[in-house]
Amino acid sequence: MSAPQINISDVASLARLTLTPEETAKFSSQIGQILSHMDSLKQIETGNVPEVTPPAQPNLRKDEPTPSLSLQAVLSNAPAQANDLIVVPKIVE
Amino acid sequence: MSSPSKWEAVIGLEVHVQVRTRTKMFCGCVNQYGDAQNTHLCPVCLGLPGSLPVPNEEAIRKTILSGLMLGCQIAPVARFDRKNYFYPDMPKNYQISQYDDPLCAGGGVTLDPFLFPKEIQETDEAKAGRKIRLVRIHLEEDVAKSFHFEDRSAIDFNRAGTPLMEIVSEADLRTPGEAFSFLGSLRQILLAGNVSDADMEKGQMRCDVNVSVRPFGQKEYGTKVELKNLNSISGVRRALTYEIARQIAACEKGEAIAHETRRWDDEAGATFTMRTKEKAHDYRYFPEPDLLPVRTDQGLTDSARALVPELPSELQTRLTRDFGVTPYQASVLTADRILCGYYEKAAAGTPNKALVANWILNDFLSTQPDPSTTPVRPEFFGELADLVAGGAINSAQAKKVFTELMANPSSPKEIVKKLGLEQISDSSALAAYCDEAIAANPRSVEDYQAGKMNAINALKGFVMKKSQGKANPVQVDEILKQKLGS
Amino acid sequence: MSLTHESIATLRRRLASKEIHSRDIVRDLLQQIEAREKTIHAYTHLDREAALAAAEKSDSSLALGGIPIAIKDNLNVLGDPCTCASKILEGYKAPYDATAIARLRQAGAVFLGRTNMDEFAMGSSTENSALGITRNPWDSTRIPGGSSGGSAAAVGGRIALAALGSDTGGSIRQPAALCGCVGLKPTYGRISRYGLVAFASSLDQIGPLTRTVEDSAILLSALAGHDPRDNTTDLRKPESFLSKPDGSVKGLRVGIPKEYFIPGMDAETEAAVRQSADWFKKNGATLVDVSLPHTPSAIAVYYILATAEASANLARFDGVRYGRRATDPRDVLDLYHRTRSEGFGPEVKRRIILGTFVLSAGYTDAYYRKAQKVRGLIRQDFEKAFASCDLLLTPTSPEPAFKLGERTQDPLKMYLADAFTISVNLAGNPALSLPCGFTQANLPIGLQLIGPRFGEEKILQAAHAYEQSHDWHQRLPPA
Ligand SMILES: [Mg+2]
Ligand SMILES: [Zn+2]
Repeated sequence: MSAPQINISDVASLARLTLTPEETAKFSSQIGQILSHMDSLKQIETGNVPEVTPPAQPNLRKDEPTPSLSLQAVLSNAPAQANDLIVVPKIVE
Repeated sequence: MSSPSKWEAVIGLEVHVQVRTRTKMFCGCVNQYGDAQNTHLCPVCLGLPGSLPVPNEEAIRKTILSGLMLGCQIAPVARFDRKNYFYPDMPKNYQISQYDDPLCAGGGVTLDPFLFPKEIQETDEAKAGRKIRLVRIHLEEDVAKSFHFEDRSAIDFNRAGTPLMEIVSEADLRTPGEAFSFLGSLRQILLAGNVSDADMEKGQMRCDVNVSVRPFGQKEYGTKVELKNLNSISGVRRALTYEIARQIAACEKGEAIAHETRRWDDEAGATFTMRTKEKAHDYRYFPEPDLLPVRTDQGLTDSARALVPELPSELQTRLTRDFGVTPYQASVLTADRILCGYYEKAAAGTPNKALVANWILNDFLSTQPDPSTTPVRPEFFGELADLVAGGAINSAQAKKVFTELMANPSSPKEIVKKLGLEQISDSSALAAYCDEAIAANPRSVEDYQAGKMNAINALKGFVMKKSQGKANPVQVDEILKQKLGS
Repeated sequence: MSLTHESIATLRRRLASKEIHSRDIVRDLLQQIEAREKTIHAYTHLDREAALAAAEKSDSSLALGGIPIAIKDNLNVLGDPCTCASKILEGYKAPYDATAIARLRQAGAVFLGRTNMDEFAMGSSTENSALGITRNPWDSTRIPGGSSGGSAAAVGGRIALAALGSDTGGSIRQPAALCGCVGLKPTYGRISRYGLVAFASSLDQIGPLTRTVEDSAILLSALAGHDPRDNTTDLRKPESFLSKPDGSVKGLRVGIPKEYFIPGMDAETEAAVRQSADWFKKNGATLVDVSLPHTPSAIAVYYILATAEASANLARFDGVRYGRRATDPRDVLDLYHRTRSEGFGPEVKRRIILGTFVLSAGYTDAYYRKAQKVRGLIRQDFEKAFASCDLLLTPTSPEPAFKLGERTQDPLKMYLADAFTISVNLAGNPALSLPCGFTQANLPIGLQLIGPRFGEEKILQAAHAYEQSHDWHQRLPPA
């Protein structure tokens, strides 16, 4: 079975990536090859693969507060900030 | 406008409710709103590289509790999934949510007639007591809060990671009034379980509405429109009323309804197109690999079951059945559990429980008391009701006792003594008053004996005046009739 | 002789007896780094003064007191950069310690520097680093393997005693094999991942790269154990990982999976590994033929699941809260697109796109869900195999280090470099690579021992026995 024709630019856009025309061409052919390799999985019988029973969750957190980061530690990594808020360009829908 | 009978609205709600916990959903930062900006953050809720989520057991327990109160099935094994989309208020650009295996499925909310808008509580629509089915309840994390300015936006991440339940209804609702009652009834249940304050105006409960219209009798749904920016339960009702009318008008004109998201503008009282839904979101859900599945069947659900409170409907039944209060009074008491507790204490030691309800829900409530701190002990109302019912004071006197009770709280029996309001029920004293009345009013006696039965009232009035209103009117009536020989 | 040739085990004893001081080790290492780093380029960040200061203050009474350790640049160390060898994390300084780092800190270790890697651990050659390539210390025209290539080259090149790496599909074992050192990928859940920048959450494990098997066990003891911050860590307490250091392999059942000896694999590698198997047999072990029939599917399964998880894990790098931000973005959408397109290298973009695709509407069942099911079969293969043997013995890599630039244009061929390591991550089992010979061209060859889940001690015991009767680990790279 052949790999699906995928629109690399559309998928990239879902991941918030813009590709150059060169990247688009290159990735299209490379990803096409990789997907054909992946299509070998279709031949494998997986009808009765048993569900893995999950272990008992040993690890839920008790509802007890732990220290937070300082405001300074939060803001020091931010590329832009003002009045203790992290600033971003205008959000448009 | 069309005849109202031709079109039917179909409404489904998605309600997001913040779960009240001490800490956030996946980290130990305090879950508290309104504090200094960006101060309740750690590597986890800020989405720093390398951080990992760990689920808050209490948030899961409270979600299961909500499910139990709403009659849902609880999944023995629940899983978390990642919901992928980019937005600056979401630190990881994916939300940890639940997709295939939510904590709760099924269940429903029965519409409380008294939680319909006041003016339609007496209608058949309200009295029908319909049950609206739920699809599911799942648990996820809330996003941050953004502020929008002219040329930029800014974010306070404190809210990011707050535990958030998403309660999804079936499209069972048919009217704005039903949606109003649904939200009120749901809120009352969540309050009873101490799951959330669920205040829409504070953003603790947020609601997305899907609404479409179709001719009555048609099976297929019309094109649905999603409504956003609904900040109160009455806002939901008004937005729906507007939107349904808009859609019906369009349909009647033969216009197609656009599949879109519309924003409710509360001031304008209208909905406006926000975005059209040409492209469906592709959230690329997949199981959250950082979290093991949650086994609820090894103690967690049992611990939630132990927290299930008396539900609003159960309380209403008990109040009307065991306390003899009216359904309306029961609904008022159910809506205010603290007042209800006060009432139950007040009514505990007296057989005159309905009378106590009247005092508390009419007179006491009109003083806008805080039943949790008032110095007026609830037993006082039981005592007051007993005094009235036993004939020790009449209703006019009881009002005086109540006024004094509120001003200087003490036992009504003592107040009666203090104000000298005790009724005179001693027969010989009353007989003396009656003799005096007969002697002083020969005309009335004559009239009465001539058959004018009303004439006795003048004699009674004389006795009441002489006794400063304390004479037991029933006894006075009997003695006078006896003396006048009828 | 320079202290840089010693093992941690030896240095611990000498430090404890005050015969030497931590500063002596750090100085010797810095001297070696001065001489060799220009060629190898194993480090992305090296603060000589800070390392010496930490050595000065170290407490030799602690388990790792004064022992310098290099750290892969994808682990958060409080106050340090953590670049993941990516432009997108430019300027980021970690405001917290990874749990593994906190544990090493508590044990008294000194942090030597940050090691190079493939960007976000995506690669098998350390050529995908935005901070420059790393060269193999045995032959500088060749790759060191990857993605923990900096860690392996530093340890193999004698410019670190030991290093931490991370292994998602072979990223500790394959470079360890190619650089002539010992690399351990513990059982999934053995070491907390908290603070390790995630590539593929269900596969990532932190592990040590060391000179000797004993050193590997020492570091594992310090790192292992439950962490309340990592939901996927195991609750069991770490045992002693080398309780019988002079034990033999007598009676050990060693499985030889036929799928790991394939036509076309490097002849010298195959010969060295078969010779190692013979050594086990000669020393009283039984060799058992086993089969892991789903091995040929592992690469496809891996590149579906790992890229799917990565596409979500790397979504957070958006220029909003930390790291690089594109200049003068028009709006938020533009900020996202430009920050990410400028910040990520080609391999990372390729994998994000692939991972986004396999999860996208209409394709999830054919790719993501199908791969999850086949992963279940691969896990089953291992369970069945371990019913008849104690350990599996395989080559770590189908071939020794290849030439720089040889595979950069052919990602699929590059992915095949992980053919023998990837299944282990999919199954969650522990595995270790140790030197088992050299090619005629003097390139190291790695032997992989795979254990049952939480069977690290079995592996370390057998590997130690093997190492004791060979001297591969003592051979020095050319100066
Ligand atoms: Mg939601
Ligand atoms: Zn937090």
